[in-house]
Amino acid sequence: MEWTDLIITAVKTAVIYLGMVQVVPIMLIVERRGAALMQDRPGPNRVGPFGLFQPIADVIKMMMKEVTVPRQVNKALFLLGPFLVLFPASLVIAALPFGDYFTLLGRDYLLQVANIDVGILYVLAIGSLGIYGILFGGWASNNKFSLIGAMRSSSQIISYEIPLGLAACSAVLWYGSFSLREMVYTQEGTFLGILPNWGFFYQPIGFLLFFIAAFAETNRLPFDLPETEAELVAGFHTEYGPMDFGTFFMAEYMNMATMSGLMVAMYFGGWHLPWVSDVTLLQWLGSRNLLAALQVVTVIVKISVFMLMFVWVRWTLPRFRFDQLMRLAWRNLIPIGLINLVITALIMYFRSAQ
Amino acid sequence: MREVLFIAFSLFTIGAASGVLLSRNPVYSAFSLILSFFGLSGLYLLWGSTFMAMIQILIYTGAIVVLFVFVVMLLNLQTNRENSSNIVFLGVVSASVWLFSLIILRVLTRSIPNKILEIPENQLRTISKLLFTRYLWPFEILSFFLLVMIIAIFAITRTQEIAHGGEK
Amino acid sequence: MEAFLPVGFLLIFALLLCVGLFTVKRLLGPRNPVSSKLSVYECGVASPEGNARAPFKTSFYLIAVLFLLFDVEAAFFFPWALVYRESLAEGPALLIAMLIYMGLLVLGLVYIFRKDCLKLN
Repeated sequence: MEWTDLIITAVKTAVIYLGMVQVVPIMLIVERRGAALMQDRPGPNRVGPFGLFQPIADVIKMMMKEVTVPRQVNKALFLLGPFLVLFPASLVIAALPFGDYFTLLGRDYLLQVANIDVGILYVLAIGSLGIYGILFGGWASNNKFSLIGAMRSSSQIISYEIPLGLAACSAVLWYGSFSLREMVYTQEGTFLGILPNWGFFYQPIGFLLFFIAAFAETNRLPFDLPETEAELVAGFHTEYGPMDFGTFFMAEYMNMATMSGLMVAMYFGGWHLPWVSDVTLLQWLGSRNLLAALQVVTVIVKISVFMLMFVWVRWTLPRFRFDQLMRLAWRNLIPIGLINLVITALIMYFRSAQ
Repeated sequence: MREVLFIAFSLFTIGAASGVLLSRNPVYSAFSLILSFFGLSGLYLLWGSTFMAMIQILIYTGAIVVLFVFVVMLLNLQTNRENSSNIVFLGVVSASVWLFSLIILRVLTRSIPNKILEIPENQLRTISKLLFTRYLWPFEILSFFLLVMIIAIFAITRTQEIAHGGEK
Repeated sequence: MEAFLPVGFLLIFALLLCVGLFTVKRLLGPRNPVSSKLSVYECGVASPEGNARAPFKTSFYLIAVLFLLFDVEAAFFFPWALVYRESLAEGPALLIAMLIYMGLLVLGLVYIFRKDCLKLN
């Protein structure tokens, strides 16, 4: 590998990473305005045109506030807590494919941080580490609300990791590959002549499982049990100051974006436009880099749809109770995941036996 | 490059592992354990075994240490280092000395390969195929063990609860 | 292994972001620690009821153990799923192997539900 290669890879990684971080300010305004829209009120509309500069004001406010470290906490783990959540959330994006490849200085570069052959396992493995920030942060706060919030949050996350894994497993079963990139490649073309050849049409139950588990994994309403403000003040981040709260939020939005990206890659055709193949598009556009740009835009649009869905669901469904949440995971989602796996395997067997 | 990374990952793993033993607070021990498992998965990556590296993080870091942390937090083992009896300490020390000498003996009696083994092509599929052909019976027996463990855990907790007067 | 090199870059960028956020928080925010500000309080009451780090319910522990077992089980589904499509040409051997494996897992699940071990009801 030459040094130009290294530099281009580093710059590419930085651009993708900064792009993912931009999700946070965008979602701040989208969520607040979206909430206002659904509740029939104007929402924040004073800072800049249509209140578009509201995130900047929010961030400045968070930064300028006092940092308090309460006396009873374990200082090291308390300070580390938010970053233990943000760090895995940043690392997961490495496996997400944003497009096929672009050409620069006569060489091809994948539109992905790293072409990992065990992509889906990587996402599940690194994604499961976010739990430590919550656990250690909640424990280090030495506050009953924080500790109970942390315990609830972590039991919720680990319980929903199993249906998430099972849904991902049936996707792996269908595509026969761990690599998200290869999954996207197989989703080109049409299914039954009219529908796009997307994983959603082959794995509808798997997608539904993944979708539900994604809400629980990102601690979003209707599964935001760790934060039940009516019972637990603010859950695991009760003792944290504004900027730490902001860091937890950053991680949450980045996790949402990653989950949306995963669903797009696994079930909604990744960078493929429906009914148009990459080869035809390349003929129309005439340039590989233009096609790459179009693919990135396609992925971003698809991810945005899912992000809007997250906001929509948040203001539509009421919160679950803790025992209902656990029952949903263990009694319903895990058996459904296993059944989905068996059905997929049987269908594949009978299709090949014909 | 490989050698440098190998030494770096090894030192990181060993350092974190000694952190597990040396820190007095069990929560810090658990944290060091996570770091040391990360070093291990880095070593697996270096050997080209991406699957093992990911499973290492998924199972060990993502599940086993979570269990440890839960136990530490729920039982509040704050002072157990001071309270642990000499017999337990002696037992742990002698067991580790015994294990360590076994490893040393094994290393000394074997010829050491002077280079890192060649990484086979398509390792993922090779491992998976082997698991379901040559190692099929161990695999099926393992699922039986897991079933036994599920039942055993509930049996134990239930007797505990009865002993504590039906505490919820 | 070379495929993981860019993940190293990402690791560095993520570290930079974390350090940056930490320093910004430290530099910009005012610091005025007062004893009563840093003390423990609970709904305005100065002394909270008992220590936060007291032992509590075992059901969280049970969930963690169960998660561990099911995670191990699920980890074995992945290599199976990877080679299943290719193995179809050689007959249903892999399908039967996995059905037996999954049957035992389902037995475990049924046991959990019948005994109501997670106190779900």
